[in-house]
Amino acid sequence: MTSSDTILKRKRRSLILLLAPFTVMLSVFFLVPLGIMMVYSFLEPGLYGGVEWNWYPYNYGRIIGWPLNDYEEFEPIYLKIFLNSLQIAIMTVIGTFVICYPAAFWVSRMQGAKKNLALFMITLPFFANLLVRIYAWLLLLRPTGFFNTVLQSAGLIIEPLDLLFTNFSVIIGMVYILTPFMFLPIYANVEKLDYSMVRASQDLGANPLQTFRRVILPLTAPGIIGGSVIVFIPALGNFIVPSFLGGSKVQMTGNLIERSFLQSRDWPFGAALALLIMASVVVLVVFQLSRQAKAEARGVS
Amino acid sequence: MLDKILNSKIWATLFKGYGFLFLGFLYLPLGLIFVYSFNANSINMAIWTEFTFDWYLTIFGGASSQSSFDAAFTESPDRIFEVVKHSVIVALSASTVSTVIGTATAIALARYHFVGKRFYQALLVLPMIVPDIVLGIALLIFFVGAGFKLSLLTIIIGHTTFLSSYVFVVVSARLAGMDTSLEQASADLGAGPITTFRRVTLPQIMPGVVGGFLLAFIISLDDVVITYFIAGVGSQTLPLFILAMMRRGLRPQINALAVLLLLFTFVIAAIGLYLRSRKS
Amino acid sequence: MKRISTSKLATAAAALTLVAPMASAEGNLALYNWGEYINPEVIEKFSEEFDVEVTLDTYSTNEELLARLQAGATGYDLVWPSVHMHDIMQKTGLLQPSGVNKMPGFENIDPGSIRSKEDPNAEYCLPYAWGAVGIFYNKELIPELTSWQQFFDYAKENPGRVTMLDDLRETIGVGLIMNGNSVNSTDKDEIAAAEQFILEQKPNIGAFRYDILPLVTSGDMAASHWYVGAVLNANQNPDLLGFVVPEEGATMYQEDICLLASAPNPDNAKLFMQFMMRPDISALNTERLTNGSVNTAAIELLPEELKGHPAVNPPADVRAKLQIFDDLGKDLKLYTRSWDRIKTN
Repeated sequence: MTSSDTILKRKRRSLILLLAPFTVMLSVFFLVPLGIMMVYSFLEPGLYGGVEWNWYPYNYGRIIGWPLNDYEEFEPIYLKIFLNSLQIAIMTVIGTFVICYPAAFWVSRMQGAKKNLALFMITLPFFANLLVRIYAWLLLLRPTGFFNTVLQSAGLIIEPLDLLFTNFSVIIGMVYILTPFMFLPIYANVEKLDYSMVRASQDLGANPLQTFRRVILPLTAPGIIGGSVIVFIPALGNFIVPSFLGGSKVQMTGNLIERSFLQSRDWPFGAALALLIMASVVVLVVFQLSRQAKAEARGVS
Repeated sequence: MLDKILNSKIWATLFKGYGFLFLGFLYLPLGLIFVYSFNANSINMAIWTEFTFDWYLTIFGGASSQSSFDAAFTESPDRIFEVVKHSVIVALSASTVSTVIGTATAIALARYHFVGKRFYQALLVLPMIVPDIVLGIALLIFFVGAGFKLSLLTIIIGHTTFLSSYVFVVVSARLAGMDTSLEQASADLGAGPITTFRRVTLPQIMPGVVGGFLLAFIISLDDVVITYFIAGVGSQTLPLFILAMMRRGLRPQINALAVLLLLFTFVIAAIGLYLRSRKS
Repeated sequence: MKRISTSKLATAAAALTLVAPMASAEGNLALYNWGEYINPEVIEKFSEEFDVEVTLDTYSTNEELLARLQAGATGYDLVWPSVHMHDIMQKTGLLQPSGVNKMPGFENIDPGSIRSKEDPNAEYCLPYAWGAVGIFYNKELIPELTSWQQFFDYAKENPGRVTMLDDLRETIGVGLIMNGNSVNSTDKDEIAAAEQFILEQKPNIGAFRYDILPLVTSGDMAASHWYVGAVLNANQNPDLLGFVVPEEGATMYQEDICLLASAPNPDNAKLFMQFMMRPDISALNTERLTNGSVNTAAIELLPEELKGHPAVNPPADVRAKLQIFDDLGKDLKLYTRSWDRIKTN
C-alpha cells in the first residue's frame, strides 16, 4: 500500500516537473500576451502611440465602417480589405490544391528510394527562407524579369506584360510559399487510398468520372480539408507577400495590422484587426476538429 | 478499370510529365536566383552578360569591378557578420531550450495519464496555429507593457514559445511508435526512472529529438514576421537584414546572400530529413 | 549521452550570456539613422579621430523610429527624425538638450534651417540635411520631364510604368499640391479633393513603393516619385537618368540630429554633433547624400555638379515652392482614412 502510494506520489511529482516549463512559458509568453492584446483592442489609442486607459469599443466599430467623428461617413473600407484578404486566401487554397492533388498521385505511385527522393525534393524548398522565395518571384515577374524577357525575345509579346503588383502576383507568391502545406496532408491521404474501393465502384458499373467523384474524392477529402485549413491560416494573416509582390497596391489585413503598429501609431486598432484574424482561425480550427471527431466516431479516418 | 487507367502507359507518362512540371515550379525560382547571382549585369538581371563572383565578394567587403553604382552603399562586412552572429545566437539558444522543453512535455504526455490531457494537448499546439503576425504583435505589446527591453533575449523568448510546440509534435510522433517493453524491463530490473530515461528512453527517441532540434533551428533562423515585431536595438537578424535590403531595392548582392542562406538551410534540412527517413 | 546534453546546455548558457546587454565601455557611440542616410566615410573619420567605436542601426520611416523607441529601444545615442517627428519626440520627452547652439561651428548652420517649432533656438537638435521630393525618371523612356502634369500624362498613356511613394503624407501631398492647397491642410474638403485626384490616377500608377531606384534604372519603371537622394544615381549615369523638382511644387523634408534622453554616451554624441558641423565633413556627407545642405560654409566646398544642381541646391524661386510637413496631431486620422480608401478602392 505505502509503496504504491510513494510510487504514485513520485509519478505525480515527475509529471509536474516535466510539464512545468512548457506550462509556465505558454502561460506567460503566449496566453497572457494574447489576453493583453484582447484588452488593448478595447482601449483608446494614445496620440503618439501606446494606449489611453479608456473604454473604447470604436476600434471594432471602425472595422465595420462606423464613422469615428463628424467628418467621416459610414464606409466599410476595412471590411472590404478583410474580404479581399479572405478572397486571396481562398484563391491560394484553390491554387495549392489544383497544383498538389495530381502531384500527390504521381508520388504515391512511385516505389522505394525513388519515392523517398521525390518526397525529399518536394519538402526541401519549404526550408528556404520565406523572403528568398518571395524575392525569386519578384525576379520572375517584374517587367524586365525572366518571363517578360523570355516572351519578348521569343517575339511573343512586344510590351512587357503587367505581371507584378497585382492580385495575381500576390496569389502566385502565396501559392508558391504554401505548396508544401497542402501537398503533405493530401499525400498522406492519397498514399493510403484503398484501391479495392475503386475497383468495387468500377465493378458496379461506375464510369471513371463517377468513380473519381463518388469514391476517390470523398476518400481523400480529409487530406484536402486538412491541407486547406493549414494553407488558409498563414495566407490570411500574411503581409510580407502583398507588400513585395502587391507593390502596396494590394492591401491585406496583415498590411493594415503592420501599419497600425509601425506607422499610424494605432495599436488598439491593430489589436482589434489581429483578433478578427484570430477569430476566423479559431472558427476554422473548431470546424476542422469537430469534423474530425465526427469522422472518428463514424470509424472513418 | 480506373486503377488500370491509372497504371496505363499514357497516364504514367502524363503523371510523370506533370511531376516534372511540379518540381520545376518548386525549383525554377530558386535556380534562377542561383544563376543570377553570377550574372555581371546589374541593371537587368534577366539578360546574361558575363560570369562574375563580384556579388559574393562585395558582401564580404570586396571591391566590385562590375559597377561603381552599388559600391556607394554596400553594407560593411562587419555588419553582415554581426547579423549572422545574431541569427545564430538566437537560433541556437531558442532551439536548444525548446528542444529540452518540448521533449520533456512530449514524454510527460506519452507516459502519464491525467485529467484534461486532450485539452492540454490542444493547448500545446496552439502556438503553431496562431498566425505569425498575431503572435508577433501580442508579444510586442506584452514585452513593451511588461517593461522588457527589446533585444536578442526577447527574440529568443518569442521563438522558444512557438518552437517548443514544433519539437513537442516531432518528439511525440517518435514516442508514439516506440516500444515500451524495454522501459518496463529496465524498471523491473530495478533501474530508477532517471537511469531508465538516460539508458533506454533517450537513445530510442534521440532521432526525434535531433530532428526536432534541427527543425526548430531552421525555423528560428528563417523567421521573419515574429522577429520583425520583437527585434530591438542592435538585434537585427539576417532575415531582417535581407528584408531591409529588399525594401531599399533589388540589388545583385541580394542574389548572392540568398544563395548562401539557401545552401546553409538546405544542408541542415537535408541532414534532418535524412535522419528521419533512416529511422522511421 | 550525458556529456552531449551537458555540453548542449553549456552552449545555450554561453549563448544566453552573450545576449546580455553589453556594458557601454568608454568610446562607444550608437547611431540610429535612416537607411543609407550618412556617408560611411564620415563615420570612419569620426571613429579614427576620436577613437570611438560607432555602431549604426537603421529604420525606414519616422513612425518606425518613434514606434521602436516607444517600444523600449534604448541604447541609442543619436537619432535622425524629420522636423515634425523631432517636435513629437521632444513633446513626448524622448530627447534631452544637447546645447548644440553653443558649440563651435554652429555659426556655419543656416538659421533658416532651424525649423522645429518646439526647438526654435536649436537647444536640442542640430539641423542635418534637407531635400526636395520630386521625380526620378529614365530618360530613355521620358526624354524630358519637368512637371507633375507630364508625369501623370505619361502614366495615362503608359499605365503601370510609374510609381509613387508608399507614404500617406507624401502621396496625398502631391494631390494637395495639384489642387493648389497646403500639404498640411486639415480641411476635410481639400483632403477629399486630393484623395479624389490620387484615386483618378491610381489605375495608371504601377505601385506605391520605396525601392524603385533599380527599377527606374533598368527601365522596369519610367518615372518615380522619390527623394532628391536619387541625384547620386542620376549623376553617375546622367544620360540615362534624371531627377527633377516639378514645376507645380513639391514637398521637402528635413532631418535633425537629436540626442536621446536615454543616450548611454551623451558626451561622444555631442562630440559627433560638433564634428558634423565642420564644413569639410558636412560637404563630404552631402557629396554622398546629394541632399540640400544646411551648412553654408560646406556648400562652398561642394563640387560644381552638386552646387549647381537645380534640385540639390535649388534657386530661390524653386525653394519658395517647397513645403515641409507639420505634425498634425489628431488630424492625422483624416489622412490615414483617406489613404486607406486610396489603397482599397
